[in-house]
Amino acid sequence: MTDIQAPSDRELLIFKPKPSQPPPPATTGLIGWLRMNLFSSVSNTLLTVIGFYLIYLVASAVNHWGIELAVWNADTRRECLDQSPYGACWAGVFVWFNRFIYGRYPDLEQWRVSLTWVIFAAWMAPVWFPRVTSKVAIGLSAILIYPFLAGYFYLGGERNWFMEIMVSVAILSFVLCWAHVLLCLITGRGLGTTIISLSGYAGKHDKTHKYPIIAFGAVGFVIVYALISGWTLKEIGTNNWGGLFLTLVISGIGIAFALPAGIVLALGRRSKMPVIRVVCVAFIELLRSVPLITVLFMATTMFPLFLPEGLVFNKLASAIVAVCLFSAAYMAETVRGGLQAINKGQYEAAAAIGLGYWPMMALIIMPQALKLMIPNIVGSFIGLFKDTTLVSIIGLYDMLGMIKAVSQNPQWIGLHHEPLVTAAMIFFIGCFAMSKYSRHLEKKLGQGDRR
Amino acid sequence: MSVEEQETTEHISSALSDEVVIELNSVNKWFGEFHVLKDIDLSIYKGERIVICGPSGSGKSTLIRCINRLEEHQRGDIIVNGVTMGNDVKNIDAIRRNVGMVFQQFNLFPHLTVLENCTLAPIWVRSMPKAEAEERAMSLLERVKIPEQADKYPGQLSGGQQQRVAIARSLAMDPQIMLFDEPTSALDPEMISEVLDVMVGLAESGMTMLVVTHEMGFAKRVADRVIFMDFGEIVEQNTPEEFFNNPKSDRTQLFLSQILAH
Ligand SMILES: Nc1ncnc2c1ncn2[C@@H]1O[C@H](COP(=O)(O)OP(=O)(O)O)[C@@H](O)[C@H]1O
Ligand SMILES: [Mg+2]
Repeated sequence: MTDIQAPSDRELLIFKPKPSQPPPPATTGLIGWLRMNLFSSVSNTLLTVIGFYLIYLVASAVNHWGIELAVWNADTRRECLDQSPYGACWAGVFVWFNRFIYGRYPDLEQWRVSLTWVIFAAWMAPVWFPRVTSKVAIGLSAILIYPFLAGYFYLGGERNWFMEIMVSVAILSFVLCWAHVLLCLITGRGLGTTIISLSGYAGKHDKTHKYPIIAFGAVGFVIVYALISGWTLKEIGTNNWGGLFLTLVISGIGIAFALPAGIVLALGRRSKMPVIRVVCVAFIELLRSVPLITVLFMATTMFPLFLPEGLVFNKLASAIVAVCLFSAAYMAETVRGGLQAINKGQYEAAAAIGLGYWPMMALIIMPQALKLMIPNIVGSFIGLFKDTTLVSIIGLYDMLGMIKAVSQNPQWIGLHHEPLVTAAMIFFIGCFAMSKYSRHLEKKLGQGDRR
Repeated sequence: MSVEEQETTEHISSALSDEVVIELNSVNKWFGEFHVLKDIDLSIYKGERIVICGPSGSGKSTLIRCINRLEEHQRGDIIVNGVTMGNDVKNIDAIRRNVGMVFQQFNLFPHLTVLENCTLAPIWVRSMPKAEAEERAMSLLERVKIPEQADKYPGQLSGGQQQRVAIARSLAMDPQIMLFDEPTSALDPEMISEVLDVMVGLAESGMTMLVVTHEMGFAKRVADRVIFMDFGEIVEQNTPEEFFNNPKSDRTQLFLSQILAH
């Protein structure tokens, strides 16, 4: 301490920070970028040239086959071949496109399928709107209630009492969601608050606020129920379902089921109770060590054996069950990976402030783990979406099944490549969009906790 | 640095009552074969401030973590506020609601804002209405002197600020006892005093505190009793004055000479 002089008797040095300078001029601009990334050295330049040459070869071949020599208008494959034997026959794709999308769903009823897609998009869209409250409820209703509406639109026919109720609930929920969204966007107040203030309960105690909402819901339900009674759609059996539509049905149910089931299985695997743990481990390991195609075959041939006499389980239902179980097992491992990445201190802090097991998991652990898992979860979804094409092997006419069927049509016999290229493009668009969205989500959610 | 600074200040007198809030009767704990806590006997009175020190690995953390059941002891009794710690989940919950804990690594919830960190437990454990919980959390954040950070995420704060949020988060449950496990050990030197200041303020308000720390200035200023642990045992306990000026055992003397040497 002695070598530091107390500066009382002399002038204090005033410390002035240097002003910040702009960074050195960047090597930006197109030329700079090219020079830095493509032509920085002799070998790099060589690789660039070779790379561009390969790209050119592939692109020109594709262009030659797919555009220059392609046939866009023809009624049979023969006509195509007569016009241009070495070009693509896109005419076949145009003729069959509806079949690739809807399978053998009757032409006149295809609007039902398209309409449910539009409804789903409209149901989910508000989740991305600003200023809209209760987004979790909207998203959950879209996942839990929408399937009943879609299911009825797809199947049609008479509704039993359960479907009658669920379809009414679904229509009501959709209408209420949008009423809520519009209210939020226009007045800035949600549906619940609006009902409460209109009914004059706003001044009363918080606990009574649910009564006008329940009453409103009940009245709405009765109205919808009355309106749709007597309205039916033509019944269309699942054996007519096919194409991209079927792929989306199977993978959509698989995806919606996989995440919650995977979370339950992953938690079960870490449970302190041995029985639960063993059951979960056995289930996960069993399904993960068997190829999906085997699970699918087992489902279609063995489920019927377990079912009581007379109960017919159709092929589609078996396939959906198989895909769900399979994806749940994989998802469980993804979730487990995410859970392992969470610091032990988070569990301890949650326990120390008095949270029990379920609140701890739901509020502290899962939100963090899910955020970490987004890339892997979306990866599994993409995998599932693609794997669904395997159902064509057990005789379901998904998009690949339809393509195979078309290639056996007498008029179009041998038409393989063009439909397959189309299917590849459709799958690419779906998968690429999912993966891009997951990147975006990752970035957006990661903003909060930069360390 | 903080040692010199605080040596000059008065010891904060406490209003000790003779009501025992934590009682440990020959508590023993093993990690596998390893005997970490050996026959610990300890009674802590309401409003008492205890500083626990000792070499690394001596079982200090394990001891205080047994008090809110983050670790399970195998033999002996731990009685907190008249509730005996056992396997009964109800008892554990009752104890945890009364005992707050601050960790060396802060352990804030990174996906929640500072305010949400502080309102989570009151809302979910005590079923407090959100508005009330937020109001209380804001007054606690004022008490730890960071109300302006309420809407930030923990990752955007400095270590000292994070630790103060952690203290506010524990206080939000209105605990009667606070446990601190080396609250300043993970902090950069210039941030230690801001956290210690908050803890001194807490001591002034009459909180029962168990603090594992090597900040001897804090011990001298605040503690009613200093406990020295080694090899899983309580080697010596005394008032800070006696403890620092007349250590009874050679282990204590050696330890004090090591940490006060520089
Ligand atoms: N979960 C655990 N499993 C096994 N050994 C542990 C565990 N936690 C702590 N220990 C051991 O117990 C001893 C005491 O640890 P701890 O209470 O953290 O010491 P301190 O906090 O005094 O540094 C150390 O030797 C440590 O290695
Ligand atoms: Mg420790």
